[in-house]
Amino acid sequence: MVDFARVQKELQECNRDFGVSGIKVIPKNEANLTQLLGTIPGPLGTPYEGGTFNIDINLPDGYPFEPPKMKFATKVWHPNISSQSGAICLDILKDQWSPALTLKTALLSVQALLSAPEPDDPQDAVVAQQYLREYQTYVGTARYWTEAFAKASSLNVEEKVQKLVEMGFPEALVRSALESVGGDENLALEKLCSG
Amino acid sequence: MSKRVLCKFFAQGACLKGERCEFSHDWKAPPNNICTYYQKGVCTYGSRCRYEHVKVSQSQASPSSSSLNPPFSTESLPGTATHGSAEHSTSSAPFSPPPRPAWGENSGHNNVRETDDGVGYLRSVGPADQSICPFAAAGDCPRGDKCPHIHGDPCPTCGKHCLHPFRPEEREEHMKTCEKRRKHLEALRHSQEIECSVCLERVLSKATPAERKFGILSECDHSFCISCIRNWRSSSLTSGLDVNSALRACPICRKLSYFVIPSVIWYCSKEEKQDIVDSYKTKLRSIDCKHFDFGNGNCPFGTSCFYKHTVKPGSFLWNATLYPDLYGSEFRDIVEVESSSDTSDMNGSQALAEHFYSSHIPIDNEELENFSDEDLNNIMAEVLALFPTLLDDDDDDNNYSSDE
Repeated sequence: MVDFARVQKELQECNRDFGVSGIKVIPKNEANLTQLLGTIPGPLGTPYEGGTFNIDINLPDGYPFEPPKMKFATKVWHPNISSQSGAICLDILKDQWSPALTLKTALLSVQALLSAPEPDDPQDAVVAQQYLREYQTYVGTARYWTEAFAKASSLNVEEKVQKLVEMGFPEALVRSALESVGGDENLALEKLCSG
Repeated sequence: MSKRVLCKFFAQGACLKGERCEFSHDWKAPPNNICTYYQKGVCTYGSRCRYEHVKVSQSQASPSSSSLNPPFSTESLPGTATHGSAEHSTSSAPFSPPPRPAWGENSGHNNVRETDDGVGYLRSVGPADQSICPFAAAGDCPRGDKCPHIHGDPCPTCGKHCLHPFRPEEREEHMKTCEKRRKHLEALRHSQEIECSVCLERVLSKATPAERKFGILSECDHSFCISCIRNWRSSSLTSGLDVNSALRACPICRKLSYFVIPSVIWYCSKEEKQDIVDSYKTKLRSIDCKHFDFGNGNCPFGTSCFYKHTVKPGSFLWNATLYPDLYGSEFRDIVEVESSSDTSDMNGSQALAEHFYSSHIPIDNEELENFSDEDLNNIMAEVLALFPTLLDDDDDDNNYSSDE
């Protein structure tokens, strides 16, 4: 039986310091606390920067004595995360689980995994190959996937172009800059500013 | 001071505190049959009370002098008026001879007289023989400076005037127990704040009393409630995690601990932890090991078991030690018994029962001849009862940590 008192506490605790960690866990459905949705921000300084990744969390009956089942709901390009299913290869979600870990600490570990891929122990062999052989391509693809899947859909490319044009850059230049940085608005702005 | 009084529970043969009991477990100690309610003023049972109704100062007042000033005025102790005089209470006492009251060790001194000012101060006995005023010792004496008894010195810990000025051992004992109690209370208060890192609740605020207990790990100092840590350590069946590397490790620091100590208080220092561990082990050592089963079973922990391994006369191990020729091979030849004898129509347990019969019970030809079906059934039942303990090897630390 899932310890719902603990889950409730964890949710409160986690959402209380959302401002610091940027990590959020909400129940998908108020009546059922075993189906949760976690969100983590892409770590700064990585191709995932700026993205917001959704993670499906499913609490097994034995929680917290069994690890929560987590997988990415947002598509992500990472050697240890399946680009197809979103399955995560992380020891603490398997045999290294401990009941002293919480949903928040587990999500923090997933976030850390984003910034420190382990290509030697891959979940997605294709990504891992690319990471090892053509690192730049990997970075580009990862950034593009972040841009395409992990950013708020309300802010599409046209809006970004519009925004940058309003700042006084020529539209053609804006488009090429956005394309070259994989669609990241801030990086494009940097590129435009640096000429 | 209370160590001089016979423990009521011990007298009934049912004191659970054992050595730690603050009352005496020596049959020579005087029993305490004095009604404390009467002494405080009001006993609702009146003459039906099964304890003795003796006044506080009665022991020091000789029968002849009791007609003098009663030691307690009716204004200060209204209950004495309804309970009658000292003589009456003595005669109404149900027990004879009346045991010496706890607070009056010198009741035998009938030759002493109260002094003229009404203060029952006993000159003929040394100061160490006089007992101190129980009212002052309890916190407040209504007679204050006029009290006929010695008022004890205030205890630095509890603040009550209960330290006998002339009995150093008693003072020491009181101070020791008082200090211990204070430490215990402090530890208890401190323990209230401690949370379990698994259920994230305060351990001592959990719903059921059985859950309000810490599970202390032998090798590290992380706090858990006993139910959470035991759940985790026994969850290998459901989660498929490795017992030795994952489950026996502390959920926080992952240090391996081979046993869990249940405790109602959390410790502040290494010494306190050691005390808890030691008293737990001492307690377990007095309990018979269920696996060992008095020499009939097989304890997977062997000599390092925390529980008591007593070999009962007539048990398997007893016989095996006495007659090594007959019992030397222990259980190894069960297989032989099963394979050598033609057991095609006999199931395993029957074969085992026969084996047990031959190995367990001293063989005597007469007995063998009298061997009946009924006997076989009895032995079968015995074997089946033994079986779970014989095969029960995976039950790792449940044995250690089974609830008291």
